[in-house]
Amino acid sequence: MTQLDSLTQLVEQLQRLPGIGAKSAQRLAFHFLKNPRDEVERLCDALREVKDKVAYCSVCSNITDVDPCYYCTSPSRNRRVICVVEEPHNVTAVEKTREFNGVYHVLMGALSPLQGVGPDDLKIRGLLERVGNGEVDEVILATNPNVEGEATAIYLAKLLKPLGVRVTRIAMGVPVGSDLEYADEVTMHKAMEGRREV
Amino acid sequence: MPQFTSEALVLRTYRLGEADRIVVFLTSDRGKKRGVAKGARKTRSRFVGALEPLTHVQVSYYEREHRDLVRVNDVEMLRSPWSALDPDALTYVGYFAELIDEWAPEADPNERLYRLGASVIEAMVVGTPTERLARYFEYWLLRLQGVYPSVLACHGCGADLQDDGARLSARDALFLCPGCLGGSQGPALSPASIAFLREAARARPSSLGDLSWSVRVGRELEAAHRVLITTHLEKELKSMRVLKELRH
Repeated sequence: MTQLDSLTQLVEQLQRLPGIGAKSAQRLAFHFLKNPRDEVERLCDALREVKDKVAYCSVCSNITDVDPCYYCTSPSRNRRVICVVEEPHNVTAVEKTREFNGVYHVLMGALSPLQGVGPDDLKIRGLLERVGNGEVDEVILATNPNVEGEATAIYLAKLLKPLGVRVTRIAMGVPVGSDLEYADEVTMHKAMEGRREV
Repeated sequence: MPQFTSEALVLRTYRLGEADRIVVFLTSDRGKKRGVAKGARKTRSRFVGALEPLTHVQVSYYEREHRDLVRVNDVEMLRSPWSALDPDALTYVGYFAELIDEWAPEADPNERLYRLGASVIEAMVVGTPTERLARYFEYWLLRLQGVYPSVLACHGCGADLQDDGARLSARDALFLCPGCLGGSQGPALSPASIAFLREAARARPSSLGDLSWSVRVGRELEAAHRVLITTHLEKELKSMRVLKELRH
């Protein structure tokens, strides 16, 4: 294989990354070529390590380097409340609030008829097993506030309610620091629906 | 760079780069378009909410010469499926959008298809039962494409199908009476299903709640329409498979 072939192969591989087009892939490839060897090796090591060490928690499906994950084993977390999110990075978003002390369940996606993602493609069975053992009081559905996330929440609520657990949905409405003038009708409707007494 | 403003139905979006989206939308006057909505994935984007599938919007966009993708400048929400009274309606949003997307050719105006889509959103908002809305939508979509077989008379002998019902000949995509059925097998439609279709031919989607309906009618029409759609598209829709999974 010539040097040019290896460069072409690198560009092809980079192009397979999300959000990377042909031009960006080429730019990155030349960036690696110009960078010192030890820097590129550090990146290769990091990639290898993440694939070797990071796995999915057998309880909540969150990413972890120990199984079960920190949230599922921590004695300070309230296991009677489960927050359901679509992706592992959503856990980080909820944790940022420092308001939630329960545990998580990551679905690894949302129902998406347009993408062909159905209930069998999500980690729903594990959630039902966790709730079914009777040790859960509340399930908070924190799927994304879009059509797919809402359809997923409605579907999950139908499955969970017969199990005798309290099912709640995160509030939706106008973002902090925005202007009501620019809120669309659906956002305003949701904000009014979820209003609270002050 | 000419600017256009039209009413449109958002059909689907794809992620583009860090924060943008490619939007596929069916305009009322210039057919289906694909365009880039800059910054659409940012939480405080001016597009947020308006780019959900099957949202009825007013869109303004620029067309660029020799470019397939238009540049989406502004999108104002007119009606959203989020306002649907039946919560189950949201699971059908992707299905309706995928059907319109499959049948709407690029940049070829199809005002009747656009109006059908817009009327379905309106019906969802006023609380039309979702199952019968779905069957109505399939029926009209196939009729507008000229591929829905006649439900008035048997294609073989001309007998009124209302009397004994019909069976869809999957091979010919035609409805036949039980007498002409021969060896062909396909989804059966009872007289009640035929009656629903005949009424649906005259009804507005928002009045579907008044038409006679049963679970059996729903199942029969769903099976027949699935065969017709799959036959004409020569593939099964992704959303069709997901809806089937959701029911089981």
